[in-house]
Order: sequence, then C-alpha cells, then structure tokens
Amino acid sequence: MKADSNRSNSTQPPNWLAMLNQKKKKFELPLKVRKNVVFPDRLGSLVIGFESKDDAILGSDSEFESGEELETFQPHAFGFEREDDDDGHEVYNSDDGKSELRIKHRNEKDGQNQVSVAKLIAADEKRSDLEFELSQKEINLEKLQRIASTGLPDGGSLRATTWKLLLGYLPPSRDLWERELTENRLKYKKLKEELLSTPTEVTRTKDKSDSSSEPETSSGTDGQLERHEISQEDHPLSLGKASAWHQYFRHTEISDQIDRDLQRTHPDLKFFSGDTPSSKKSREAMKNILLLFAKLNPAICYVQGMNEVLAPIFYVFSTDADEQNAANAEADSFSCFVRLLSDSVDHFCQQLDNSPVGIHSTLSRLSEMLRANDDELWRHLEFKTKVNPQFYAFRWITLLLTQEFNFNSIMRIWDSLLSNPFGVQDMLLRVCCAMLLCVKSRLLSGDFTANLKLLQHYPDINIEFLLQVARDLTPDTSSYRLSL
Amino acid sequence: MVLVLALGDLHIPHRAADLPPKFKSMLVPGKIQHIICTGNLCIKEVNDYMKSLCPDMHVTRGEYDEDPRYPETKTLTIGQFKVGICHGHQVIPWGDLDSLAMLQRQLDVDILVTGHTHQFKAYKHEGGVVINPGSATGAYSSLTYDVNPSFVLMDIDGLRVVVYVYELIDGEVKVDKIDFKKTATTHSMH
Repeated sequence: MKADSNRSNSTQPPNWLAMLNQKKKKFELPLKVRKNVVFPDRLGSLVIGFESKDDAILGSDSEFESGEELETFQPHAFGFEREDDDDGHEVYNSDDGKSELRIKHRNEKDGQNQVSVAKLIAADEKRSDLEFELSQKEINLEKLQRIASTGLPDGGSLRATTWKLLLGYLPPSRDLWERELTENRLKYKKLKEELLSTPTEVTRTKDKSDSSSEPETSSGTDGQLERHEISQEDHPLSLGKASAWHQYFRHTEISDQIDRDLQRTHPDLKFFSGDTPSSKKSREAMKNILLLFAKLNPAICYVQGMNEVLAPIFYVFSTDADEQNAANAEADSFSCFVRLLSDSVDHFCQQLDNSPVGIHSTLSRLSEMLRANDDELWRHLEFKTKVNPQFYAFRWITLLLTQEFNFNSIMRIWDSLLSNPFGVQDMLLRVCCAMLLCVKSRLLSGDFTANLKLLQHYPDINIEFLLQVARDLTPDTSSYRLSL
Repeated sequence: MVLVLALGDLHIPHRAADLPPKFKSMLVPGKIQHIICTGNLCIKEVNDYMKSLCPDMHVTRGEYDEDPRYPETKTLTIGQFKVGICHGHQVIPWGDLDSLAMLQRQLDVDILVTGHTHQFKAYKHEGGVVINPGSATGAYSSLTYDVNPSFVLMDIDGLRVVVYVYELIDGEVKVDKIDFKKTATTHSMH
C-alpha cells in the first residue's frame, strides 16, 4: 500500500529504492531462483562461526533445511541444481545418495533422533554394499571407486583394504592377493636388511660367513691379540666417500631429522605421540619407511612433510581389524606410500619447481581452475588482495591437505582423493578450489592479511559439503591435455 | 653399535703442541658415543676439546695432569662389557702384564684400558683384555723417545668388540682391526 502511494506521488529514484527495501524485508523464505545458482553467497554461512553480514541470512541453517524440504517434492533436485555432469558416475551415485537424503529429510520433520537412526541405516547399507563388492572374486574397481567417493566406514578392515585396492597395491582379482602380499612383504624385509642395517651388523654377518669354515679360536690362548690390517675405507672414522661407515653417518643426519619430524606428527593423537611403547613402535616403523624411501630416492631424499603424508596411511593399515594385516602394516604402508607419492613426487624436488611438472605449474593450474569457476573471486584474490596461491596452497597440495583438517576429516577427504578415477591430483585441485569457494564471502570481504590468515588456518567446515562442491566443479581441462 | 674412543698421554702443552692434523680431521663430533681417557692430558683446554667431540667422557688421573679432581681408577659398563680405566703409573713395574692383570681382577672388569708406556698394546689373558692406546700425540715417555702417535676406537656390539687401532706411521694413518668376543667362561672365573 505504501509502495503504491509512493509511486503515484513521484518517480524520483529515492522512493523507488525505498520500495525495493521494503519488499526485501517482507521476504522470509529464499527464492526458488536463488537455489539454482550453484554458489550462492549464503553457502559461506555453513562455515561454523561465520558472522553473517546480511541480515536476511540470519538463521540460515534452518532456512536452508526448510528449502531442502520443499525440494524433495521434485524428483531430481538434490539440493543443488545439477547440470549434466561429464562423468556418468555421478548420476549413479546420486541414486544412492538421493535415497539417503530423502530418508533424512522426511524424518527431519519428526525430530532429531530419527535423523541419526536414518543415518545409521544408510551407513549400514553402504557397509554391506562395500563388503559385497570386496567379497567378489574379480573386484569391480569402478564400482569401488564410486562407493569410496561417498566415504568409507571407520573400523574393521574395509578402509584399509579399499585403499590398498585403490592405490593398486592389491590386484583386482582376489586369488592373487595372498601371493602379492607375501611377495611384497618379503621384498620389504630384504630391502630393510640391505639398506638399514648398521655397518657393524654388516661386518658381523660377513665375518660369520667368512670364519664359519675355520675353527673357533680357543679362548684359552693368552698373550698378544692378533692385529689385522684393514683398508682405509673399513673403519668407523673413515672419511672416504665409498666407505660404508661414512654413508651410514651421513644418513644419521637424515635419520635425526626424520625423528624430529615424527615427534611433531599429530601430537594430539595417542597413536603417534607420547612415550607409550606402542607409539614408540609406530614412530620407529614410520622412521624405517621414510629412511628407506630417502635411501632409495637420493634425488629427493627426505623432505619435511613426507611424514604427514605417511601418517594417515600407516594409521589406517595399523588399525586394520585383520591381525595379519595390522602386523605387516609397515611393509604395506611403505609400498602404498611410494605409490601415492609417485605422482606428486615432483612437487618435492626443488630443481623442478619451475618446470611443467613442478609445484608452480600445479599452483597455476589451481588458479586457472578457480578462474574458470568463479571469476569474481579469482579477480579479488589475484589482483585486489594479491593473495598468491603459493602462500596458502603450497602446503595444501604437497601435503595432500593433511595439515588443514582434523584427522577424521583427513581420512574422509582421502577416501575421495584416492577414489577419483582421474587421479589423486585432479581431485586434490578440485578440493582446493572448493575450499576457496566455500569461504568466498569471507575472502571477498577481507584484505591481504585477513585472507591469508583465513586460508592458512582453514576453518572447520562440513566435509561432505566441501566434497560435494569439489565434485560439481568444472573440470580443469589443462590436465586432460597433459594426460593425452 | 656403540663407538668408544680410547686415548691418552697427550702431554699437551708440555711435550706436544697438539694432536696430529690427520687424527684431528678424523675426529668429528656426532660419531662417537663415549670417550675413555687414560690420563696426562694435561690441561683443561684438552679436556674441553674432547668434551666437544662427545659429551660422555671419562678421565683418570695421570701424574702430570693439572686437574687434581680426576679419579685414580674408574669403571663403567658399556653394553655387555665392563670397562676399567687407570693411567698405569701406579702399577709397578710399568707395563707389566701380570701386575696389570692383578689390577684388572681387583677392578673386576672385562676390558682394562691403561696408558703411561706410550706404546700401543692389546693383550688377552684369562681375566680379560688389556688395551693400551699409546700416546695420541706421539709425546716422548720416560721409557722411550721413539713413539708413534696412536689411539684406539672400540665398536662394542653385543658380546663382540671390534677394536680399530689408528697409528700414524711415517706421516700416514694406518688402521688395524682386532676382534674378540666375550665368552661365558671368562666371566665364570670370578
């Protein structure tokens, strides 16, 4: 009414604005139209602890949920209007996910406890699906990838076995598992003996084999002890490059650094830190793995951070419910760690920094992906606040996001990373891009310092949502060119 | 694998200025776990230098040492071995095996490290092993002028000891190796 009277009086701009403002205040529910935008600004409010600037977004959680309730009447809406996806997988996936969510939504009207029961039912369904898949003689890797990308259940040996399959450590046919495992574990043991034993042990075993034919010198003979001349390389203080001792002492430096880094790995988790014998054993095993890797790859050696990449793998394999697997966690972790690191190993090599496979090129790919998906945010970061990807994304990419989230979230994210059919790096870039998009509103309103602070201490966020956003991104086509 | 350095009779600054440079270049910190010094360093600076090589240092008193607080004898356990240290000027006749064996039985050790004669010796007798690392600087002794600089590095590994003898002969470092095992019988003697 007021609006009409204003209009009849004059056509001055201020009145028109006032009319708009009034209309805005009337709206309580979100417009259907806003829902169709893939990254509406208000999604940033899902980040816990976010102070919303816009008054209209107060209590956004309930708004969002009520919006979803409305959505369930439409058969294909999934909360976000999805364009046709490039990979057919997603459509299939939505079938499982949709039924999950639909159950969730119908029950949400009734109350909170109903939701958790529904969640449990959904989780059980997934677990039985997974177990069925894993019990097949010939495992369908694609199906496994699909299930894994929705998250693997904790506990039992499901996650450990799935990760081993996804990394290619276990072959898809079940019959070959036993043989592969024993072969690999034996190989690891041999490698350890070869490369990790001290020179004393080496000379001891050598002397034993040498003197096994001679009779033992009787302990009764007194007098001067026999002196044997030895070469310049054979003594502990030798400075010769070829000396086994010299190499051993050179590696103690690396060993010390690995020790120091392991002490600082996940200090909040009892599995890794503290003085209990089990945590010491874990650290000892991880040290062996990292030292072996450093010795086998002298070009990269050990770089600080590799311990973080190893930690989730080792944890998952050690907490495997299957006794034998848990006992051999060290050998299995070594192989899987090598496999995982093989595509990102170039990031650790300093000489390759500026090459097409180095870290700078990956960072620029991240930039390009952000630009393709959200030009506004990209411009704001690149030009306005000058927040270069190398200030925050370096750690995200080289450490595979292990330093940004808590341990359980890391495992969930890694489920998705490992199960991406296009490779870990592809999904990693998507998740990084999604991380930027999810805090878009905070970034847009921040300056250089605030943005950097935010990105270097990434806030808690709903992981499923983050991964959903990552999946929906326009893919980075430059990486396809490389793979061709 | 425990590396133990045994040396002594440096007589710095009275009879020698410093360790031979070839020895000094080999002795770097970080490799050695224990240092055993038979005595006659003689001054505090030498003590500090050795402490910088390895913080765990054991010294006994030689007759020319300027620090009166060093003990006459010392025993310690490294791995499975009991090691005893004494300078040796207290044991008369100097360098006599039987008298040293008597000292070894008194201290009840498997390996006795003594000095004073400035000559490298490694003896085995029923009570155990006696090692004399000689003089690390090649300083002259009361007995002889002709002294080759020498010291000893022991690699203690379980029940086995590998002794590496470093000697400077005609300006070149020569390394020899001596192997011995501790057997149960030597222990049962006591």
